[in-house]
Amino acid sequence: MNRHAIDAGPREMDLSRFDPLPRVMFYDDFNQGMSGWTVLTGNYTGSLRNMHPGYRQFTPPMLSNLTQWDGGTHGGLSGSYALKLATRPDVGAQTVSLKRLTFPRACTMQVEAYLTFKPEATELELSDRDVRSFGFVLDIQTKQHRVLPQIRYLNAIDGALANKWQYKPRTTVFNDVGDRTVTLYHYGEENWVDIPGGYQTLCYNEIPTKINWHYFRLGFDIRTLRYTELQCNDLVLDLSGLEMLKFDAMPNLNNLFNVIPFVETDSRKRAFLYFDSILLSGDW
Amino acid sequence: MLAESYTAVIARGEDWTDGSATEPYEASWAREAAISLRRLEPAPVSGDASARVQISLDGLHWIDEGTTVEIPSEVGKIALARLTGFPGYLRLVADMADGDSAFMLATLSLKA
Repeated sequence: MNRHAIDAGPREMDLSRFDPLPRVMFYDDFNQGMSGWTVLTGNYTGSLRNMHPGYRQFTPPMLSNLTQWDGGTHGGLSGSYALKLATRPDVGAQTVSLKRLTFPRACTMQVEAYLTFKPEATELELSDRDVRSFGFVLDIQTKQHRVLPQIRYLNAIDGALANKWQYKPRTTVFNDVGDRTVTLYHYGEENWVDIPGGYQTLCYNEIPTKINWHYFRLGFDIRTLRYTELQCNDLVLDLSGLEMLKFDAMPNLNNLFNVIPFVETDSRKRAFLYFDSILLSGDW
Repeated sequence: MLAESYTAVIARGEDWTDGSATEPYEASWAREAAISLRRLEPAPVSGDASARVQISLDGLHWIDEGTTVEIPSEVGKIALARLTGFPGYLRLVADMADGDSAFMLATLSLKA
């Protein structure tokens, strides 16, 4: 067996837990590095003070081996490392990470991931209501439109469990941040709507330092500007009838395709979102 | 394969006063780190100002690593410190005179 075959074997086994479309755009398992995932810098001109406060709170992503104070290193689903997003420790604080690309041809694109979420283990309590939500935004521009499909798993809000998937059908207002620059903070609490059939309890486990990985999948058709499906473990939801944030096309964003996971906390504890792996595929 | 490297901006235009701390940054994969500090706006300075490097195994409990980095008193100057042999998490804590403040950019450049 040559060196290439030895290397390819385990990676092919890794991929068998995904259900990708014919072409794989990227597959990141975070055991080799950050792989292009970065912090989201909000638009600004003149001074960083002019960045929208929603974007100013964002923190840079990390590579984590999920080490816990009581159990030591938890590790990933595959390998030792995972991509980690961490909010600040304020009620309602949010953070995102993103990978920026462009789509080579209008087609269906699909994000798949193995992920988990936890609050920071600052209390010896169950803490299952401390993370508000996690979700994904896709930021896409075609010749005519810019669209922001945006879904989240609302774990808890105002201290009460919610356990349901939601989407955001309407937009909010743009804010000027300079001469020719505008910004739009679309991650806020406004305009979230329940996805029909979207109630789902995910495995939280029994203390904040034990984690379990979940399979996630979200598809979007760039030709029709429609979602396809959302899947989390054994729940599959048809999203094809749902609306999304939609504007006229903007300058300098032709064929934009950004993948933007986010997490928010419902308590004065940091909320963590971990990705063992993320795969983007398409049918172009 | 090339060794991984990653630069995280751990304070991106933040107003520091005495006791301000950056968010915990997990870097157990890295063998070395360079920390740089830049003041982004002029401000009156009445005393010494520096940032203490702290380390943590779990992101919850912190101790001083022993390195301090000067917070430059003028815009345009850069202060730099290099670290090796740290455990999982890093953060910076500002030590400044009462009443002083600094609008800061702090970066953490990590290498495997």
